[in-house]
Parts: sequence; structure tokens; C-alpha cells
Amino acid sequence: MIVEALAFYMFAFIAVAAGVLVISSKNPVHSVLFLILAFFNSAGLFVLLGAEFLAMILVVVYVGAVAVLFMFVVMMLDINFTELRSGFLQYLPLGGLVGLILLAEMVVVAGGWQSIAGGAKLAEAAAPIVKSTSNTHALGEIVYTHYVYLFQAAGLILLVAMIGAIVLTHRRRTGVKRQRIADQNARGTDTVEVRKVEVGKGI
Amino acid sequence: MIEILAVFLPLVGAALAGVIVFMPQADKHKQHKMDTLAQWITCTGLVLSAICAIILFKDVALDGNARVTELFTWIDSGSLEVSWALRVDQLTSVMMIVVTGVSAMVHIYSCGYMHHDKSIPRFMSYLSLFTYFMLMLITSDNLVQLFFGWEGVGLASYLLIGFWYDRPSANSAAIKAFVVNRVGDFGFALGIFATFMLFDTVNLDTIFEAVPGKADATLNVFGGEFHALTVCCLLLFVGAMGKSAQLGLHTWLPDAMEGPTPVSALIHAATMVTAGIFMVARLSPMFEYSEVALTVVTIVGASTCIFAATIGCVQNDIKRVIAYSTCSQLGYMFFACGVSAYSAGIFHLMTHGFFKALLFLGAGSVIHAMSDEQDMRKMGGIWKHIKVTYILMWIGSLALAGIPPFAGFYSKDIVLEAAWGAHTGVGQYAFWLGITAAFLTAFYSWRLLIMTFHGTPRADETTMAHVHESPMVMVLPLVVLAAGACLAGVLAYDLMVGHHMAEFWGKSIVVLEHHKAMENAHHVPLWVKLLPLVVGVAGIAMAYVFYMFAPGIPGAIAARFQGIYQFLLNKWYFDELYDKVFVKPSFYLGRNLWKTGDGTLIDGLGPDGVSAAVKNIARRASALQTGYLYHYAFAMLAGIVVLVTWYLLTKAG
Amino acid sequence: MSIDQIIPALPEIFVACMIMALLMLGVFQKGALADQDVKSFRLISGLSVGVLGLTILLVVMLADRQLMAFNNMFVVDGFATYAKVLVLIASGCAIVLSAGYMERNGVARFEYAVLVVFATLGMMMMISANDLISLYMGLEMQSLSLYVIASFQRDDQRSTEAGLKYFVLGALASGMLLYGASMVYGFSGTTNFSVLADLLKGGTPSVGLVVGIVFVVAGLAFKVSAVPFHMWTPDVYEGAPTPVTAFFAVAPKIAALALFTRVMMEPFGEAADSWRQVIIFISVASMILGAVAAVAQKNIKRLMAYSSIGHVGYALIGLCVANETGVRGILVYLAIYLVMNVGAFACILCMKRGDRMVEQISDLAGMSKTHPTIAFAFLVFMFSMAGVPPLAGFFAKLYIFWAAVDAGLMAVAIIGVLTSVIGAFYYLRIVRVMYFEDAEDPLDAGVSRELKILIGVTAFIICFFFIQPNLILEPAAAAAKALLAG
Repeated sequence: MIVEALAFYMFAFIAVAAGVLVISSKNPVHSVLFLILAFFNSAGLFVLLGAEFLAMILVVVYVGAVAVLFMFVVMMLDINFTELRSGFLQYLPLGGLVGLILLAEMVVVAGGWQSIAGGAKLAEAAAPIVKSTSNTHALGEIVYTHYVYLFQAAGLILLVAMIGAIVLTHRRRTGVKRQRIADQNARGTDTVEVRKVEVGKGI
Repeated sequence: MIEILAVFLPLVGAALAGVIVFMPQADKHKQHKMDTLAQWITCTGLVLSAICAIILFKDVALDGNARVTELFTWIDSGSLEVSWALRVDQLTSVMMIVVTGVSAMVHIYSCGYMHHDKSIPRFMSYLSLFTYFMLMLITSDNLVQLFFGWEGVGLASYLLIGFWYDRPSANSAAIKAFVVNRVGDFGFALGIFATFMLFDTVNLDTIFEAVPGKADATLNVFGGEFHALTVCCLLLFVGAMGKSAQLGLHTWLPDAMEGPTPVSALIHAATMVTAGIFMVARLSPMFEYSEVALTVVTIVGASTCIFAATIGCVQNDIKRVIAYSTCSQLGYMFFACGVSAYSAGIFHLMTHGFFKALLFLGAGSVIHAMSDEQDMRKMGGIWKHIKVTYILMWIGSLALAGIPPFAGFYSKDIVLEAAWGAHTGVGQYAFWLGITAAFLTAFYSWRLLIMTFHGTPRADETTMAHVHESPMVMVLPLVVLAAGACLAGVLAYDLMVGHHMAEFWGKSIVVLEHHKAMENAHHVPLWVKLLPLVVGVAGIAMAYVFYMFAPGIPGAIAARFQGIYQFLLNKWYFDELYDKVFVKPSFYLGRNLWKTGDGTLIDGLGPDGVSAAVKNIARRASALQTGYLYHYAFAMLAGIVVLVTWYLLTKAG
Repeated sequence: MSIDQIIPALPEIFVACMIMALLMLGVFQKGALADQDVKSFRLISGLSVGVLGLTILLVVMLADRQLMAFNNMFVVDGFATYAKVLVLIASGCAIVLSAGYMERNGVARFEYAVLVVFATLGMMMMISANDLISLYMGLEMQSLSLYVIASFQRDDQRSTEAGLKYFVLGALASGMLLYGASMVYGFSGTTNFSVLADLLKGGTPSVGLVVGIVFVVAGLAFKVSAVPFHMWTPDVYEGAPTPVTAFFAVAPKIAALALFTRVMMEPFGEAADSWRQVIIFISVASMILGAVAAVAQKNIKRLMAYSSIGHVGYALIGLCVANETGVRGILVYLAIYLVMNVGAFACILCMKRGDRMVEQISDLAGMSKTHPTIAFAFLVFMFSMAGVPPLAGFFAKLYIFWAAVDAGLMAVAIIGVLTSVIGAFYYLRIVRVMYFEDAEDPLDAGVSRELKILIGVTAFIICFFFIQPNLILEPAAAAAKALLAG
């Protein structure tokens, strides 16, 4: 029990600290690295909950794909984050105040947590973590039956995202030279002149 | 059927001419053709209508076929049932003769007079429209239809006075006529309401039948109990005073002379202004039951009669002199009605219609000849150049002054005799004022004649060289009217006020037994019969002395009695009085309410204040919209914090 | 899972399949040449309108009783049918409106129509959501499509900026919504609307649950652009291509308001007393801001943005009332709002000069001379939006205020009337500019046929709604009844 609790606090603390560092570090590359750290710790939290499938997915997708993509983008676009954040301190008092109020309120609300009658049972029903089957198996059982609607909808949303990405990036620009292989092949010899250039002289 | 034709032909003419108004032609020649077409249409309509009126007169008045023709139901709401109906009885048929006859003459005359005007179709259309409304008024079978015609002629009069709308004076005169008439019309409308309250109907026949039963009824007005019929009659009489320009509400009539002269002849001499007399005669069954109302009518009539005559003596504008003369003659008619001599009043109305139209059109002819000069001080010595007009003006003046055998003699005499014959105090008041007015009438008529036609020419040479007799199309109507002025009196005397009076009027005029003015009028002492003639001749003689033989006298008198002269010249200061008492205060009040009340208080605190505040807030609200993403995001977060905090503090706390 | 389990979702499945088909068709149509783009744009647009039309038929066929599908995550009832029909009409009109503009501005690409239909699918899913998760799925599908078409005019900086702003703020709003949903789940143990409704029956809800609801409300308020979550609206409306703005102003608003209504009435209806003040705050703030801020606007699209904020405020009054008359008021309002806005935007799309779109209010000057008919129709729409009787907009407001007064919310109704008076000011200002100011440089003559037809039909409906109001009133009443019964 103690080990579990210690692990939880460690993961939680590191995740939150990494989150803060993501937005506070000056170098964007560091930010992305801290983000990856936060992902790893979140995955750890999932493992503690017994949701090993989610943990692995998080690592594979977010760390393996998304964060690396971020890294590429950040390194390719030379954005000066320091300049972007220049007014940061100016807004800190007011923003911090709002944040603190919200935090206090959330604490109050969470402190008064009580499940309404029958709620506990429902909560159990929605968390089918059973020792006898693996996460993957359990998810697979409901994703294609119980949640088929949401699963398909999510697929469609991804399709929208894909179309959107294509629409916004793949566009016809004027003044851009493209390679047209058919044109190249159809070109005869008359457009090309072969000359002999003497050594040491230009044309 | 024939009455429908008589009433609606002018409307058709007006509508057709109205259509032509909206088809202006660029080509001058074509425009002239269109103008001629409009003139032909309206004149034909009116002449046909006049012929119908004559046939009707024969049928209705001479053969005694009074009738009501229902057209259709107009309003049917609760106990108020009003239908369009043409009521043609003796009274109406006499009026129709006057209205259509004079109107037809004026239409023809206008073809010549308005020759140079650029909107002839519009003018002809208005004239015909006016005639239609007037006919509607005199043929009405109920008070509402009467009111319709009443307002209609008011509208047409407004349009015609302001016909030359590019002249500011014409515009203000038109507005004045309209506004002053509104005062009268307000009384008239109240009178109709009171009558409806009393009788629960607006139908004339039903009212007349019910009048004897309501002779003693009372009506609660402002907390006091008043004799109901008196209240109704007085309110209705206020309307009559407005339309017929009686003392107090007369101020619009002289100003109305701003309109073209044919309009003055048609509307402001012969027809519309007599609507008030017609109304009183038409409602004689009601007025008969209210001694108070009759007394008021007599006093107002007699006072107007003398009042207008005095002013007429000092005016210099030829049309204004005739206008005041009209005002004065209307006074005669009213006090005739006031002493229950309705037939005498209508008789005078008819003869007056002819000779006053003649005088106006004659004056128009003079003005036409003098190149639109209206001031008599700038005329004189033109009789040799326009002999026909001169003779016709003489005929008109003789009729007006009451010299036998012209029409005015018969009608004025019977009116004055009836006033004497009433044997009442107010009757005497009316008689003596009437006699004095008769003297003044003769005086100013000849003053007009002499100043206009005799003496040395006072106009400049170019004008004098241009003086010419009017074309045939203008002279011919004058001749017709002159014939009326000569003969109408002698022909109709017996019929309308003489021995056959009772059969002639039939049921259209009701006079109670104890009102014996008409009966007594035929048995007055000889001096009463002769007095009007004597003062008339005396008036003429005095005019000759003053303006022909000793031209210095008027100036001397005017200088000696400067106060009286100014008083008369300024028309008893009525306009100034009204200006001070009503116009200025209302302007003042209006301006104050507008600037202080509306502008500063209501607008300042209301619309303007609010809109200024809104604009201010709007600017601030737009300023919040900075365009920075993090501002927006922050606003959202702040919003949710506010919402959650608010909830926690109010509900959960 | 048997086949009859998915029958309620038939229209959505149909639309989804058709989207794929259209996508394939478009892709294979597309050649290397620019004019081929226009051709395929026209083809796909036309087909999309056809698909939406067919979907209306399918939706109407499924009407008249409540059906559940996919383990109660998806619901079809009278309310959903009514809202879906409105949304489908709005989307169809938006595609029709776009035709000329897109071609003129060189962004005629067939993906536009596909994305609009995608957004429509998302809206239909939102309307039929019976679970917080399916709600979120629908919302995201709609939003993602909208983000893309907001920046569809990629070469235009303002359009790109609009899309980006919308995306970032939309993500924030989604975050709030999800946070709220998770709180609701944490405090109740379920995300299903029917179960939530049962749980809340009797007894006051816990504080945490209501705070969760407030977060959900914030997320939804963003989608309907209610104050204080409206900040994106003016910028996005101004920046996005005009037909896209027209689409934004109508279809997503209707869908989001319908969803808003369902969420507040169905699962949380029993807790109305707890959340009412929040909605009243949002509604009143929206009405006031919509009326006041619009006064200072110079750009007509920005003005329409504030106008739509105001209209949402009015519609939300019906939600404050939280009963059947209130819901009916909202539904009537949405239908009339749809017609007015389609017409108004069609008029705005007629504003071009020298073959370029213009969008300043001052550009409208002299429109009464260059386009007398269009100007008159615009006048009708403006008067209707200002709530001048007997135009339809007056009745829309009337039913809403009526419901509020009936429920004793006098103060809200009075504020509503006051703000609509202020609002009348800027609507009438447009009329003044059109009719009483002379243009130095008049607008181009000539308006495409589709616009003419749309303007004519919508103006006709607005003018003559009062003759046969039952055509909208009765379905709306039935829909409201269906929602409250469910």
C-alpha cells in the first residue's frame, strides 16, 4: 500500500512540476522535453490505476508520435518564444488571482464530494477493471459493441481533421514551379542546344 | 337617376382632368392640346350637370316631387347607420341651380382667365372636385354625409386658395383658411356628436321627426344641465360660422382672395360660404325649437353684416372690397334665418350667388385687363376701354345695392322686412343694422365703380396701353350671370317668398306657428318698405359726392378721424388680436414645449440621453474587443470563475 | 446488435456514407487545371444540397416518437426532428449562398461543401446526443469542420487568423466542457442523460454536480456565442469568408442552442432552480452586449456578429423559463432567426463593387437606388430583426417575452424589451444608410439568381408569417412537448 501511495505522489508531483516547466522554460526544446516527461508520469499514473493499455497507448502515441512531431515543428520553425511571452509577467497578478479563486473553489467542491444515492454502484459499473481479463481484451469488447457509435464518430472526426489538414496546406499557388513529368518527356530536342565549351572560357 | 348624374358628373370630370394632370407633355403644343381637353371635359360635365339641375328643379320644386335616392350603406356600426343617399327636395334643388349654374359659368370663364397658367388641368380638376363636394353637401341625407361634403369643400378650398403654391402669401392664406375652418369644423363635429347622443341617429328625417318630442330634453355639459337642442344647434352653428365667415371666424375670407379670381367667385362668394346658411335652413326643424340659438344666429348675422360693411368702405384692393361685401351679405342671410325667415335667407342666397359671382368675375375681368393689378388706387378711367365689363359691373352693383328691379332689391327688402316683422328686440337690432349696412353697401359699391372706372387713369402708361376687353369666353358667362342678377329676383319672388311660398318650400323648411316674421313681412309700414331703397340711393349719391365731385373729402375725413380710419383699415384689428391672443401664445407655447419640454427634458433624459449613453458604452464594449487571443481566453476564464463564484456564494453558501 | 437498433440513426448514417461518396467523387473529378476545380466545386455543392434535402426527408420519416439507439447514447424525438430540419435547411442555404462568392474569390474547392456537410453531421449528432460523450463527439466533429472552413480562404490573412482564433478558443471551451462533464460524472457516476434525469429527480443536486453543470454551460455558451464566452464571434465573423459567416450565424447556432436546450431540460431539468441564475446572467448579458456594442460597428459582418449575440440572448430567455412554453419560444425563435439571417446574409452577399466584395456599412449607401428590390428586402429583414410588427421577428420575440412574463420573470422580459429598442437603432441605421445616403461610388448591379430566389423566399416568409403562424407554431409546440415528455 505504502509503495503504491509513494509512487502515486511521485508521479503526480513530477507530472505537475513538468507541466509548470513546460510553460515556464525559456527554450522551446526544453518545453517539449518537459511535456514528454509529463506524459511519462501520466502513463505511470495510469499503470497505478491498473489501466496498462492506456498507459502504453499514451507512451506510444503521445510520446512517440505527437511529442516528436512537436519537436520537429519547434525546431524547424524558428519562433522566438521569449518575445511572445514578453507580456507574461504583466498579466500574472490578475491571471494568478483568477486561477487561485478557481483553485480554491475546486478544493471546496472536491471537499464536499459525496456521491448521490446509487451513484457508487453506477460508478462501479462504468469501471470494468477485472483481474481475469486484460485491459486490451476488455476495451476491445466494449469499444466495438457498447461504444461503437462513439468509436465510429471518433473515426469520422479524424477524417475531418485529415481533410482539414489537406485543405489548409495543399493548395494551388501561383508562381510556384512544379515538376510535370509528362511535359518533360514530351519535350523534343529543339528546346535544348548542346554546345561545346572550351576549357577556361565561358559562353 | 338624374340627381346621380347631376352630382357625379363633376366628379367624373375632376377624375379625368386629374388623370391628365399626371400626363405632362414636354411639347408645348401638345400640352396645350391636353389643357384644352381637360377644359372641355370639365366644362361639359358641369354644363350637363347644370342642365340636370334645371330639370330637377322643374321636377322637384315646381312639380313637388321631393325624394331621397339611396346609393348604398356606408357605415353600419351599432346603432350608427349611415348610408350614401341623395336627398333632393325644394331647398336642395334651389341650391343645385345656384351651385351648378355658377360653377358652370366659372368653369367656362376660367378657360379664358387661366389661359396663361401652366397647370390648367390641375385647376380644372380642383374646380370640378369642389363642385362635386358642394353637391354632396347639399344633397346629403344625414349629418355624416353633410360633414363629408363640408370637409370636402374645405379641402378643395384649401387646394384652390393655395393653387399658386409658389407664392408664400397664397400658402399662408390657404393654411389660414384651413385652420380657421378647423375651429368651426370642430364645433360642427361636436354638434354632430351631440345630435347623435340625443337622437341616436344621424339621419335627417328621423331627427326631424323626433325633434318635437325632445323639445324639452336636457343635456349634461361640463356638469351643467342645458337645453339639449340649444347645445346641438349652437355647436352646429359654430361650424356654420366658420364656413360662412361670420364675425369672429371671418378672418380667412379676405385672405382667401389670394386664390385665382374664378375661385373667389365660385367658392368664396357664390357657393361654399353659403354652406352655413344652407345648413341652418336645412336644420330649420331643429333651430326652430331653440329660441336661444335663433337669437344668437340673428345677433351674429346682424353684427357681421355691419362690421364687414364698415371695413368694405376703406379697403383698396378690389377683390377685398367684394370679399367684405360677401361677408356682409352673408350676415343678412343669417339674420334672416335667425328670425325664422329661412325662405328669405335662401332667396337672398340665390340672388346673391348670381350678382356676387358677376361682380367677382367682373373684377377678374378688370384685373385681367389691368395686367393683374388689384389695387383700386392704381386704376381709374378705364371705362371707355372695357365697356362691356363696365356695364356688367354696373348691373352687379345695382343688384348689390338693392336698386329695383334688380335681384338684390327683392331679396334684401324681404330680408329686412322680415327682420322688422319679427317684432322682437333682436329683430329690431338686425333691422337697423341691416339698414345702415345697406347704406354702406351702396356707398362702397359705387366707390369701387368710380375708383376703378372713372377719373383720371392712375396706372402707368404701359398698363393703360394694354387695357383690353376680355375674350368672348370670359364675357359670355358674365352676361349669363348678369341676366340672373337682373331677373332672378323678379321671377322667383312670388315663388320663394311671396304668396306661393308655402306650396313651394313644402316640407323642406319648417317654421313654427308663433314665428310670424315672414307673414308680417308682407304687412309692414310703407316707410319700412322704402327705407332700404332710400338709403341705397343715398349711399350711391354720397359715393358720387366723395369720389367724383369732391375727391378731397375722403382724405380729409380720414385725416380728421384718423383713429376710426385706421381701425377700419385694419379690419377692426381682428387679425392682430388673434395673432396676439391665439397665434403668438400657441407659437410661444409650442416653441417652449418643443425646446424646453421636448428638446431638453424629454429628449435630453430620454432618446438623446439614452442614445448618448449607449454610444458611450458601445465604444467601451468595442474597446474590449482587442483582437488578442489571450484576452479572449482570459475573458472566458474570468467569466466561468464569476459564474461559479456567484453560484457558490448564493446557492451553496 | 440488431439492425433495428441503428434505424434511429439512419439519417446520420446516410449522411456519413454520402460524405465519403462525395469525397471520392470529388477527388477523382479533380484534375490539374484550375477550371476543373470550379467544375467539381459546383458538382459537389449541388450534390451536397441534394443529400441534405434527402436527409430532411429521412429525418421527417423518423419523426413522431422517441427512439433510442446505441445503448441510449443517441435519441430521436420530435424535438430532434424539428431542430434537425432547421439545421439541414440552414446548411443547404449556406451552400447555395456560397456558390458565387467562392468562385469569385478563387477558393472554389469541393472540400468546402464536404466540410459543410460534415459540420452538419456533427450538428445532427449534437442534437440527438443523449450522453455527455456523444454530445462531445458531435460537438467536436462540428467544431473541427468549422475551424477549417473559417480559414478556408487560406491566402487571406484575416480568414486564417479567424480560423486560428476560433480553433484555440474552441479548444479552450471544449476543455471547459470536458472538465464540467468529468465533474458531472464524478459526482453522479454516469454520463447518460436519462440516468442523470432519474438521479436528479427529487432532492437538491450536490454542489459539485452543479459546478460541473456550470462548466458544461460555459462550454455550450461558447458554441452559441453567449456573453462572456462570445469574444471570438466578432473577429471570426469578420475574418471568415462571408458565406462561411452566414453559415456560422445560422446552422451551428441552431444546433448548439438545441443541444443547450436538451442538456438543460433533459438531464438537468430537475435542477433548474440551481442553474437558472447562470442562464439568466448569460442571457441578460448577451442581450445588453449584443444591443449596445453593435451600435459602434462599421463592418456589417461584425454588426451581424453582435446581432447574433443579441439574438442568442433573447432565445436563452426561453431557457431561463425552463418549461414547455419557454422551449416552444426558443424553437419558434430559432426558425424565424434562421429565415431572417439567411435573407440578411444573402443581401450582404449582394454587396460588391468593381467585382470585389465590400462589407462596410457605409458601402450600403444608395443601395435603394442601385438595387431597389434587394434594399427593400434588406429593410424587411432589418425591421424584422428589430422586432417591428407585423413582421416575423416581432412574433419571435413576442413568444419569448410571453413565456418569460408567464413564468414571472418580469425583469428579464423588461430588459429584453429595452435592449430590443436599443437594437432597433442599429438595424434602422442600416436602413437609413441604404435609403437616405447617396453613394459616391455605387455598388455593382446584377445579382445572381440563387441569391434572388433566396432573398425573395425569405422576405416573403418574414412578411407573411403572421397570416399562417401555425405552420411554425404547431411543430414547435409539438417538439417542445416531446422534449419535456422525454
